Amino acid sequence: MEDATRALGKGSQPPGPVPEGLIRIYSMRFCPYAHRTRLVLRAKGIRHEVININLRNKPEWYYTKHPFGQIPVLENSKCQLIYESVIACEYLDDAYPGRKLYPYDPYERARQKMLLELFYKILGYQNTIFFGGDRISMIDYLFWPWFERLDVYGIADCLNHMPALRLWTAAMKQDPTVCALLIDKNIFLGFLNLYFQNNPDAFDYGLPC
Amino acid sequence: MSGGSARSLAKGSAPPGPVPEGLIRVYSMRFCPFAQRTLLVLKAKGIRHEIININLKNKPEWFFKKNPFGLVPVLENSQGQLIYESAITCEYLDEAYPGKKLLPDDPYEKAYQKMVFELFSKIPSLVASFLRRQNEEDCSGLKEELQKEFSKLEEVLTNKKTTFFGGNSVSMIDYLIWPWFERLEVLELNDCADHTPKLKLWMAAMREDSAVSALLTEPKVLRGFLSLYLENSPEACDYGL
Repeated sequence: MEDATRALGKGSQPPGPVPEGLIRIYSMRFCPYAHRTRLVLRAKGIRHEVININLRNKPEWYYTKHPFGQIPVLENSKCQLIYESVIACEYLDDAYPGRKLYPYDPYERARQKMLLELFYKILGYQNTIFFGGDRISMIDYLFWPWFERLDVYGIADCLNHMPALRLWTAAMKQDPTVCALLIDKNIFLGFLNLYFQNNPDAFDYGLPC
Repeated sequence: MSGGSARSLAKGSAPPGPVPEGLIRVYSMRFCPFAQRTLLVLKAKGIRHEIININLKNKPEWFFKKNPFGLVPVLENSQGQLIYESAITCEYLDEAYPGKKLLPDDPYEKAYQKMVFELFSKIPSLVASFLRRQNEEDCSGLKEELQKEFSKLEEVLTNKKTTFFGGNSVSMIDYLIWPWFERLEVLELNDCADHTPKLKLWMAAMREDSAVSALLTEPKVLRGFLSLYLENSPEACDYGL
């Protein structure tokens, strides 16, 4: 894993310029926004280096990379800085050869961008603890299965993002119904492993023999 | 190209037919700044289009089939494809139609325009809050915030050393942010730009652009619309017709 390095904090040395032939990403191992950009770097086979930033104790020099010290930020060997995860992802798709991740067709490209707006609107619709108000209701149950599975993968949310969703996940886990049906993480991972191998025993994984 | 000054369609209206080939349709509203972005790009690129104005205070039921959010602008082409969200419609037009490219080809310059767009992003809601302000306290607080946002844009122009946000000629980012600057005069917010001279120069330069000047609304018509709109009048969208 290129990003398995300690996060740089206050008092750390600023990194040098980015060598030619490489692009640098300022990141944090558990941040979903930076995760997007790392996915694109990997999917396109782009040679890159990762510098992890301690988001609770940011290096002073990091504000020269991003005015508010946010991640992800891309820096190339021409000292150009690109930030906002979606903008960084599109930049990589445009600037690097190989497999294009956005479709070629203008309408299909627009459709993908409209879908992303829908995603943000769903998150934005939430102005109470639960999606339907102050008590759990249908819409929370309708969303939960997907979020439970994300949670099982153990990716802790980036501390500065989506506090409402973190609160919601925590509140959901206190609901007796949700609790009663919570999938055990290891069993779920065991299932997935067999499922992706097309193993018919997948479905019974974890059941007593 | 027709329909810019057509009466808006409201509840009970018949849904429009399919879009003829060779044309693209935009569902719009004469005073909507978001829809104005799309109209600017259509004009700047010389794209043949028809306009259907929607009464946003009394929306036709069929309009939600065009955009589930019921908002303008929406593009509809002759293949029945629908595109909404103003910035997405603008980028779609730039990609789908030939002629002058409004977004740069260079990946970094394109990303830079999008980063500037993010810098601008607080301004529409600040202006909307200003419209709905209840008292003088709200007013000065909002004006201060607006000045802060304007300073960010001033910094961009200072660093770039160009007249426009994308270089020395008008490009996509200028059109995307212009509609709110057009409205400053009518909202009596022009003084918020007093400390940002390059931004002021940009505003003057934009008024000389042919697409911008073709779509300018007379201040008194805009004022008439605004007072009706704030009273939720269903007549607002057709004011001045």
